Amino acid sequence: MHNLLNYILWFPVLGMLGIVFIPGKQENTIRYWALLNTLITFGLTLVLYCKFDSTVGDMQSLFTINKPWIPSFHIFYALGVDGISLPMILLTALLFFLCILSSWTVGKSVKSYFALLLMLESTVFGVFMSLDFFLFYVYWEVMLLPMFFLIGIWGGENREYAAVKFFLYTFFGSILMLLGIIALYMVSGQTEESFNILALSGGKWSKEVLNIFGFSLPFAKIFFLAMFVGFAIKVPVFPFHTWLPHAHVQAPTAVSVILAGVLLKMGTYGFLRIAFPIFPEASIYFSSAIAWLGLINVIYGALCAMAQTDVKKLVAYSSVSHMGFVMLGLAAMTVQGMNGAVLQMFNHGTSTAMMFLLIGILYERSHHRWIVKPDGTKGFGGLYTQLPRYSIVFIIAMFASMGLPGLSGFISEALIFLGIYQKFTTITALALFGLLIGAAYLLWMFKRMFFGPVLDEVKKYNDMNAREIFYMVPLCVCVVVFGIFPSPLLNMMKASVGKLVSMLAGIHV
Amino acid sequence: MEYSICTIAPIVLLPFFAFVINAFIVKRFTNIAVAISCFSIFGSFLFAARIFNDFVFGVYSAGFHVHKVFTWFDISATGLPFKVDMGFYIDNMSATMLLMVTGVATLIHVFSTFYMHDDKRYGRFFVYLSLFTSAMLGLVLSDNLLSVFIFWELMGFCSYSLIGFYYEKEGAGDASIKAFMTTRVGDVFFLFGIVILWSVIGSVSFVEIYKAISAMKLQGLTVLGFPLATVAAASVFMGTVGKSAQVPLQVWLPDAMWGPTPCSALIHAATMVAAGVYLSLRMYPLMEAGHMMTVISYIGAITAFGAATIALIQTDIKAVLAFSTISQLGYMVMGIGVGAYNASFMHLITHAVFKACLFLAAGSVIHSLHDHHTHSHVQEMPRMGGLRKKLPFTFIAMMCCTLAIAGIPFFSGFVSKDRILGDALYMAMKHSSYIPVAVLGFGAALLTAFYMFRMMFLTFFGEPRDKELHDHCHHEHLSWNQNIPLLILTVFTLGGWYCGSIMGQPFGKIATERYEWFQTLIEKPDVAKFKDYYKDNLIGGKTRPSISTEKSVYDENGGLSEEQAHHVHHAHHLGAIFSVIIAFFGVFLAFLAYIRKAIDPGKIVNAFSGWSRALQNKYYFDHFYKKILIHKILLRLNNFLAWLDLGIYDRYVIDGTEKVNSYMFQFAKWFDNLWIDSILVDGTGASVRLFNVVLRTVQSGSIQFYFIVILAVLTGYIIAI
Repeated sequence: MHNLLNYILWFPVLGMLGIVFIPGKQENTIRYWALLNTLITFGLTLVLYCKFDSTVGDMQSLFTINKPWIPSFHIFYALGVDGISLPMILLTALLFFLCILSSWTVGKSVKSYFALLLMLESTVFGVFMSLDFFLFYVYWEVMLLPMFFLIGIWGGENREYAAVKFFLYTFFGSILMLLGIIALYMVSGQTEESFNILALSGGKWSKEVLNIFGFSLPFAKIFFLAMFVGFAIKVPVFPFHTWLPHAHVQAPTAVSVILAGVLLKMGTYGFLRIAFPIFPEASIYFSSAIAWLGLINVIYGALCAMAQTDVKKLVAYSSVSHMGFVMLGLAAMTVQGMNGAVLQMFNHGTSTAMMFLLIGILYERSHHRWIVKPDGTKGFGGLYTQLPRYSIVFIIAMFASMGLPGLSGFISEALIFLGIYQKFTTITALALFGLLIGAAYLLWMFKRMFFGPVLDEVKKYNDMNAREIFYMVPLCVCVVVFGIFPSPLLNMMKASVGKLVSMLAGIHV
Repeated sequence: MEYSICTIAPIVLLPFFAFVINAFIVKRFTNIAVAISCFSIFGSFLFAARIFNDFVFGVYSAGFHVHKVFTWFDISATGLPFKVDMGFYIDNMSATMLLMVTGVATLIHVFSTFYMHDDKRYGRFFVYLSLFTSAMLGLVLSDNLLSVFIFWELMGFCSYSLIGFYYEKEGAGDASIKAFMTTRVGDVFFLFGIVILWSVIGSVSFVEIYKAISAMKLQGLTVLGFPLATVAAASVFMGTVGKSAQVPLQVWLPDAMWGPTPCSALIHAATMVAAGVYLSLRMYPLMEAGHMMTVISYIGAITAFGAATIALIQTDIKAVLAFSTISQLGYMVMGIGVGAYNASFMHLITHAVFKACLFLAAGSVIHSLHDHHTHSHVQEMPRMGGLRKKLPFTFIAMMCCTLAIAGIPFFSGFVSKDRILGDALYMAMKHSSYIPVAVLGFGAALLTAFYMFRMMFLTFFGEPRDKELHDHCHHEHLSWNQNIPLLILTVFTLGGWYCGSIMGQPFGKIATERYEWFQTLIEKPDVAKFKDYYKDNLIGGKTRPSISTEKSVYDENGGLSEEQAHHVHHAHHLGAIFSVIIAFFGVFLAFLAYIRKAIDPGKIVNAFSGWSRALQNKYYFDHFYKKILIHKILLRLNNFLAWLDLGIYDRYVIDGTEKVNSYMFQFAKWFDNLWIDSILVDGTGASVRLFNVVLRTVQSGSIQFYFIVILAVLTGYIIAI
């Protein structure tokens, strides 16, 4: 049990190494191997969930690992899990398992594809588990490699551009984050705890002043901003969001799912784990700015989504809008808002993964994604009649994503609104319109694609097959069950979130 | 006697389980699924009837509440408590409402087995119907605004699905989006109201809200510069405006007629649209505290009158009924505004019964008229006429309901509408600002009588105008699922069921010691009573209602002083006389125009061509929303932003100038050619090569470049320090 995090973290790497020794011709062996590997990893995370003590807000001592890695620089191989990272770890393991299933039809160099997917899984786990700042950074960066190749090789027409853009964008953010890491290392006196995320937390740097080229600047605020940009690019927060539509449209289905389902959450996770705890007074100072940016995300993303004629781009912009809600919840720094934000991270992960998987299923049949083709004709029509099963799953995904009560999105959004209202009334009132536009673009898209008479082209499509149903069902269950009974998720996170909120509430600016 | 959770929960859970089961089996076992739906709703009717019986006949008396609570989730942190409780709340109003909803829904389920039988999605219709009824019942049983909102939205979803039921037709898709989006405008405000109340009170259960109002907690606070109580009340009322199709969000309801007729009967006439009124009645103390009454009465009166004028020129039988629904809902809202709490709720119930019956009868008519050329059913009244003999049972049912809605004495509509109008008249006599409300109210009554009888005369009387259609129509026989549900509903359009009195004076004892049971039982929520209400009557613990449980004594003056009561009675007598005269006058006009042909309606329409054009276009609301708000503003803004985002911002600001851009492409191309295509893709044969690639990639230019940048930053930083 003590090494459980190690197992979860390294098991996908083991799988990757295994793939290396399977001859590339045996494509099915590779697929089943990857599937088995992710399934076992998911099983391991479930063990983690069962052994998790939800009454403890701190890192779970049962699982914490802390070993010297590069002693001369006080860098540790430190892993841990608490109520904020556990939902993310579960989500990651589940989505990777389903993504392997959805990638069954990938035919282009199967071997490297699955090897890279498994490598990506391990790095994502690393980000969500690291307690050492340097380790966190390493995983954050290494994660770029498989992503870069996955988009750049298996993507659509414009894949090189999208991959490079994704890479450079994130890389720019990482530099700023690295700046912060080094600065903290210097300021904290290069001791054993200088890379320890937990030890750095708690607002110890509010008094520090940065003397740069003769100017005295508040240390905490400057480096909060540096970290903010680093994480905000990942979320993505307006105005750092433009890599997202490119990356999503070009990425293959499974990568889109991982990108929207998990990688975007790494940004908000960064706020929860690093930016807020380490620079609490700076985050309170900038909270209204964050809230305004979140509001812009919500409204701007939704308005942009409405104009899209490519359904994948539409869903990509809807992610911008939904992640805006998470930012609002974070900026609120109240119990309701923070819990809502973490819950929204999970719920958006499941619902948007459903959307991208469904679009992938459709793409395999149609080989295009136009709601309205560039020449002005209808891209789809009458899918409801032609693909009844597919349509029902699509309806569930769509209404979950627009926050229909009874499905998962509602509770998190309601909590976020409750949380943010206590701090920012105007923003709450404006953000509510995001709900309105959010429903509008989804329903409009649905109507144009699914209603009406069946197009000749559409008549050739087959409904979902057994494999496709098999990987959609777990997500449907998640979306419905957590919509009706959110307490399993909330119980998992509430102690840790509560601890963070209490800490922030105790800071006087 | 104490209710356990097992006697309340089945009301909402039976249809819900029916929905869950049917969702899976409906394709293979359609008939079983239909049977499950019908029996489950009948089961909840029995449970509801039991509760109603207990409340009306003495076991629980007026003023008594059953209130059970369970915790949905709890995210309290140290010193920061926050948990969400859900619960059941039953008082006389919800007991009555439960009986109405389950009763009407049962009959509509039965009727649907006739109407939808030949439809290819026969089973799926019942799946939606079950989900809808359970959501509606959940809403009625809710003890707090959050769960009201949850069920409220679920009903919106069902309504969306049922309006878009014939999704092959273009119009159905548009209508379903329109319905969902228009009501969602109201819902968003409603959610804002919930958030405001929750933040101030710390809970949104009805009891806590009443307590807070009685403790004057909402006073003196402001939101965005306005008094908090007003903002909260207005926001919650916007929910009603959306759901109950009041001006300016009334546009969705006429289009909702794209759905199958039984669902129009259940959702868009009898129950769901009434949920909005029900919410405002529940939140009546908040509306008072927020000084919203005048606004509410005006919105109601304008809606009642405006919709009635539009109904005058409709030729589609369902459209007439749709506009009459809007108009009647306007009456209910107006009733809330003028303080006719009890009458407004009574109109909700009576309207639900007769309007459900009207729609089912219309469905029966439509179903009988099958055009063999277009293979569709006919809804246009100009092609009907003389159906009285062919469809005798439908005719009887529809006639009784028309008498009820027109406000003819002895029928239910008269009893309830007259009391609303009486109160409006009283308010108008007291405050001059209410005079337009009363005038519009009486005007709408005249129009209602006219257009409803116009519909009756055009459909059932005179000579058949489409001979072929008429000949194809089969003679109606008494069948258990076509006209029996109609006739049962017809029985309840009689006024005596609701008042025990025809003209306002008690004529007999319905239940022991009670005159006019409806007026006695349904009272305005008295917030003062809730002052000492226990907060924590959790399930498992003993329910401890501390509200007075003595049977309330029927006060003939309704708590008013002798003199005030005299004025009220005076206004009511006057109102009754007025409305009877007006109703008969409306019927007479319709008789002249459509039976005697003494007046030519065509000439009148021509004479007022400007007005009739405005009516044809429903006062241009749709035009304004669709052409201007959506096409001219919203879609243009969207396209502009999307162009700005990727076309300008991303391209020039992020990617930089053309030069940088081209460098980036070159870099990408180089990287692509060198590393990706040539090695990774083409050379993955050997296992070792992948690792080679990874290793070499790490050593490659791009990554070196990347480390160089990191190093440069570091050096710069260290120098700076």
